[in-house]
Amino acid sequence: MFQWYAETLVRYLLVAAAIVGVMFLTYRGLRAAGVRREPATGFALIIPWFLGFLIWNLFPVAASLYLSLTDYNVLQSPNWVGLANYQQILGSDERFWASLRLTMAYSAITVPLGLALALLAATLLNQGVRGVGLWRTLYYLPAILPVFVTALLWRLLLLPTRSGLVNSATEPIWSLFGDSPPRWFLDPDTVLWGFVIMSFWGVFGANTVIMLAGLKNIPKDLYEAAEVDGAGLLPKFRHITIPQLTPTLFYLLVMGIIAGIQVFDQGLFVKVPQENFLNVYLYQQGFTFFHMGYASAIAWVMLVIILVLTLVVFRSSTAWVYYEGEVKR
Amino acid sequence: MQTRFTRLAAIVAAMSLAVTACGGTQSSSPPSGSSPGVSAPASGGTSQAPAEKVTFRLTTWAGEDEAKELQEIVLDKINASQAEFEIVHEAAPADYYTKIQTALAGGAGADFLWLSQEYVAGYASRGALLDLTELLPAIDAPTAKIDRYFPDVVNTTLYQEKVYGLPWISQPVVLYYNPKLFDAAGIAYPDDTWDWDMFATQAKALTTGDQYGFSANSWPPVHMFIWQAGGEVITPDLASSPIDSPEAIAGAEFYKSLIYNKSCCPTEDVLLEQGFSEMFKAGKVAMFMGGATDTFESADGVVLDIRAAVVPKGPKSRTTFAWTGSTVVNAKVANPDLAAKALVALTDGIQHWKIVSPLTDLATADVIKASFPEKWKPQKDQQVDAILAATKDMRSFNVVPRQQEWDDLFWREFQDLLYHDKGTAADLAKAVRPKLEALLK
Repeated sequence: MFQWYAETLVRYLLVAAAIVGVMFLTYRGLRAAGVRREPATGFALIIPWFLGFLIWNLFPVAASLYLSLTDYNVLQSPNWVGLANYQQILGSDERFWASLRLTMAYSAITVPLGLALALLAATLLNQGVRGVGLWRTLYYLPAILPVFVTALLWRLLLLPTRSGLVNSATEPIWSLFGDSPPRWFLDPDTVLWGFVIMSFWGVFGANTVIMLAGLKNIPKDLYEAAEVDGAGLLPKFRHITIPQLTPTLFYLLVMGIIAGIQVFDQGLFVKVPQENFLNVYLYQQGFTFFHMGYASAIAWVMLVIILVLTLVVFRSSTAWVYYEGEVKR
Repeated sequence: MQTRFTRLAAIVAAMSLAVTACGGTQSSSPPSGSSPGVSAPASGGTSQAPAEKVTFRLTTWAGEDEAKELQEIVLDKINASQAEFEIVHEAAPADYYTKIQTALAGGAGADFLWLSQEYVAGYASRGALLDLTELLPAIDAPTAKIDRYFPDVVNTTLYQEKVYGLPWISQPVVLYYNPKLFDAAGIAYPDDTWDWDMFATQAKALTTGDQYGFSANSWPPVHMFIWQAGGEVITPDLASSPIDSPEAIAGAEFYKSLIYNKSCCPTEDVLLEQGFSEMFKAGKVAMFMGGATDTFESADGVVLDIRAAVVPKGPKSRTTFAWTGSTVVNAKVANPDLAAKALVALTDGIQHWKIVSPLTDLATADVIKASFPEKWKPQKDQQVDAILAATKDMRSFNVVPRQQEWDDLFWREFQDLLYHDKGTAADLAKAVRPKLEALLK
């Protein structure tokens, strides 16, 4: 055991020494090329990060683009197939479209609803509540739990039996309407709603804390001026709070869309009867079915979808996001 | 400035070291010299092997207890007795197939790997496994002789008539039953005279209140009942999936008549709430189909009086499913001859540890009885006859390279829909057969 650790330690030392060597050579090279000491030192110091970015980010991204144009099966060398993977995805893959529908529906519901509920909670917490730090911590706590823990927890809470707390608590309400509680993750028709409920656990808490920070940054004199003019609660909320909060809402909207479409862990840990999220389908194609080239193509289609939606939000932001000091033309 | 740079560089180096050292705690890397089949000093484990021994790496899905048993019962003995090689075990109990797949892709795959039956053809067809067809006959040991194995079990290690692994376990499904519940209902215990009708009738007779006669939740696999009716899900030539044949439909319909049917079995909701095998252990289910190595104890650790019989006979046969595990060899192993020899030694060791051995010579009552720890002997000793009888009718799947896709489709568009009343077996089978057969090509 010690021998293994010693060899590993030596490798780590060699890596550290190599990094220092590269930094040193960068510095000397730049200096020899006539670069002044200060910028040469700066470049030398960012070289480790830059190399890390090249090796661990840019190269895999470029490699996945190449693999998406191949039939790579993980265990053998890839063969070029051109756009065949993309044609299959967009043309004849029913499972892709079913997964995409579930993913888009999930995002379309969870993102706005999550923002609205988080805004409500943040507004309440911003009303001079005593012990706001404690409340803020309590709201944020669920967000720091690993997603798989949340997924397993909600899988139990949404059991369609007496053990499922949600159904157990709401059964009297359902029976009032002569109905029975939903079967959640066992019924393809209610799977989406099970995931939606699960999503509020983490996103709601994180969004609330960020919105609370946004609310705290709104200048109080704006409210004072409005009160002098006789404005009530709703006008103040509509004409001061919302416009002042739009940069925060914009940020949370963009991040929510990206996270919503990339949702993965929940789908992986909760078995559902038919289609799952797009990212889970991607994982299944790559790691279960050995279609890594095809999975890479799905990843790029997903990237394009996220890019388009993000672009739409960015373009629309000029119409609804307010930045102090910004000059409207 | 030179001094300033040197200081900054030293800080960065120290931070890099700290970061890499912290990250390293997650992966206790094996020695660099233990790359496939390359001579390396022995390390790890308990044996102090001479330096000239070749080190082979074995990756398995064994959990903590199983890995400990594997080391003590199998590997320590092999490493102590073999002069040419030693085997170092690397357990990967979580995300096993993802890990070995990425390790093989990165050229860091172990020399030996455990594969469940449905994976061998896929890995072999993609060139990841060593062809053992010519290597095994040269080894003078029963374990190396393919014709000494149960034919319907060893088939899972073949791909295009070449041998890609050695099976070390074949667990036939047997019918476990709780004698107390049978005695209370005044029903005779199941035996080899039982057929489907008798089984279904008695399962219903044993169902009363919150007690059920039988339990199914897609286990045991529907394939078994299709085989018993004379049908196939994938033909032996791997060319078709005749699941819409009258025999296959009969098997699927019989299974459908049991699963989640509250007149004989727990519903899906009840199973979710109370647990599948837990209900049997709690005395709420009278009959349960399980693998030969299954053991049963109560929640407070008492070994239960559970007996076993062969599964009921279908219209054509009593065929029972046998889950099979095999050890395969990495195609990139540097010393194939020695690797084959080590594989045989390893497989022989495991076959004396796991039951039932797929080697016909070792499928005996004595070997089975000897493989169980003292704690389980009272329970397993009275099940041995049924387990041995089941080996005569056991078989594994006919496996194709795209088996995972086939299984996924068979589940989503046939089994899941059938069990949830979304169609009849005949209609669903007819619709999905062309899609299934497209995956065989």
